[in-house]
Amino acid sequence: MSIMEYNGGSVVAMVGKGCVAIASDLRLGNQALGISSNFQKIFPITDHIYLGLPGLATDVTTLKEQFRYRVNMYTIKEEREIEPEAFAHLVSSTLYERRFGPFFIEPVMAGLTKKPSGEYKPFIAASDLIGCLNFAKDFVVAGTASSKLFGVAEGLWEPGLEPEDLFETISQTLLNAVDRDAYSGWGAVVHVM
Amino acid sequence: MSRSYDRALTVFSPDGHLFQVEYANEAVRKGTCAVGVRGKDVVVLGVEKKSVLQLQDPRTVRKVVMLDDHVCLAFAGLTADGRVLIDKARIECQSHRLTVEDPVTIEYITRHIAGIQQRYTQSGGVRPFGIATLIVGFDPNDTRPRLYMTEPSGIYSAWKANAIGRSSKTVREFLEKNHKDDMTKEESIKLTIKSLLEVVQTGAKNIEISVLDGYNKITSLELSEIEAIVQDIEREKEAEAERKRSRLAATAAGQAAMLSRSADQSEGQ
Amino acid sequence: MDSSFAITGKGYAIVAADMTVSRSIVKMQYNEDKIKVLGSHLLMAFSGEPGDTVQFAEYVERNIRLAQIRNTYPLPPPSAASWIRRELADSLRSRSPYSVNLLVAGYDLSTHEPKLYWIDYLGTMATVPFAAHGYGSYFALSLLDRYHDPEATVEEGLATLRRCIDEVSKRLVVTPGKFKVKVVDKNGVREVEL
Repeated sequence: MSIMEYNGGSVVAMVGKGCVAIASDLRLGNQALGISSNFQKIFPITDHIYLGLPGLATDVTTLKEQFRYRVNMYTIKEEREIEPEAFAHLVSSTLYERRFGPFFIEPVMAGLTKKPSGEYKPFIAASDLIGCLNFAKDFVVAGTASSKLFGVAEGLWEPGLEPEDLFETISQTLLNAVDRDAYSGWGAVVHVM
Repeated sequence: MSRSYDRALTVFSPDGHLFQVEYANEAVRKGTCAVGVRGKDVVVLGVEKKSVLQLQDPRTVRKVVMLDDHVCLAFAGLTADGRVLIDKARIECQSHRLTVEDPVTIEYITRHIAGIQQRYTQSGGVRPFGIATLIVGFDPNDTRPRLYMTEPSGIYSAWKANAIGRSSKTVREFLEKNHKDDMTKEESIKLTIKSLLEVVQTGAKNIEISVLDGYNKITSLELSEIEAIVQDIEREKEAEAERKRSRLAATAAGQAAMLSRSADQSEGQ
Repeated sequence: MDSSFAITGKGYAIVAADMTVSRSIVKMQYNEDKIKVLGSHLLMAFSGEPGDTVQFAEYVERNIRLAQIRNTYPLPPPSAASWIRRELADSLRSRSPYSVNLLVAGYDLSTHEPKLYWIDYLGTMATVPFAAHGYGSYFALSLLDRYHDPEATVEEGLATLRRCIDEVSKRLVVTPGKFKVKVVDKNGVREVEL
């Protein structure tokens, strides 16, 4: 039994055309026993960033609180909202702080970066539990169903998806992947920006 | 030369004074007055309340605070210092319950508070607490009311009735004259208000009264209740003055009568 | 071996916990209260490592009381649960972690809603309509999936809880024995005989 699979749960994020989406299941379990079917793992960070935290549930809450604190401090000190790229590095350094006693979480983030021209550039990233970032251009997955998510996403995702199509793609990817995973499921939530 | 003794308060002046502690006492003397009175099975705390500014929320200005279910504290001096000391005391109350499963005794928490105050007169880089406190309450499984006082130096002592803060000397002298053993609840409250009126000119609206009549039984009087007692006291004073006037008039009349009688007698001779 | 259950209903939460203290195969005591009353509208059932449980529960009790004395007002259930969770989460990565599982139930006077939190020794916290800890949870959770009604009256809620306790008493190898049951609603906390 791995500690990463103790509570179960999965998150996926995808890039579309001028949009991004992030989705997760809602299960909280104690190994095979289901405890809650409404356990949120995706949290809004700013109006343009969402963060998914699959992994050990105690660390989901702890990290959610810690990121809220750090992002609030950033906003006050810098007098501006944090950008997705900067936030990704904040996530990375927060996790690397605990390099030898890590939080058992593999974060997934999705956001929109405002370009000087005024249009929004989609941004997604994922990290391992000690803060190694992965800036993907298509999709990122994490959690107990990650192996299945990789397969389904690889088959369904295509470049240049409009918001409606992106919603359909990410929803189908998540639902079909968690159906093959005993530790994920019990409801799902999708955010499209 | 003497200036240097002001700087580090852990240093005595040549004549044995700790100046900073004395300045702290001065801060207490500038603070609003607080009175504690012990009755037969009741103890009353009264404080002079600074008038609240028009736009201020009166609930945020507290001079009598609860340390635990059965202990109350009033202080005179720097409010900010009071807050810090009160927080330390509240933590000790809960910590004591946690470690020995018993609420603190009044003497214990007084000793603890005085201990903190003393520590701040003997360690480096700190200044004393600019407050004196009155601590009242009932010990667990006991019916005797308790009243203690602590000072910035760390002195603590038990009292039947006492006052701290502005004009505390006047009030204490008043209490010395008027305190009786085994007062009832009503008598104790009345004496507290009466003694406060010695220094609070503005009357009921600037007085706050807390009454403890038994373990876990803390109540604070409503403004209307205080007003009623103040009126009562004023009426008594009025009556007393009236009696005095009539007695004076009677003596004057008596003397006049005596004078005229003696005049009559001398005329008759 | 201890079991605890809790459910929420229309304007109330009920918490039940068994009353036995056992050392290995021996029942040492059968009238232990494992539900702490943390405030006028807050309950906490605790189970886990003997020793840790009472120690942690009393630590929580004193800190919740301190917060109330400091702020005049008591912590509302979400804040209290959040604080308790954080204590366990910090404890988990300390030199000597507490092994305590909790059910925190309360009535929120600001939103007029009952609240129930499932918290384990890792610091995992979930807001749930019904919850259980211990071996009893394997039976109780499936029963509650079938019979729980968020609109049920207190009487109906107690009947549902009765089903859980009966099932556990029937199916578990070691019968937990008597249960202590406490209800919290807008009027505060009260103990009920089941």
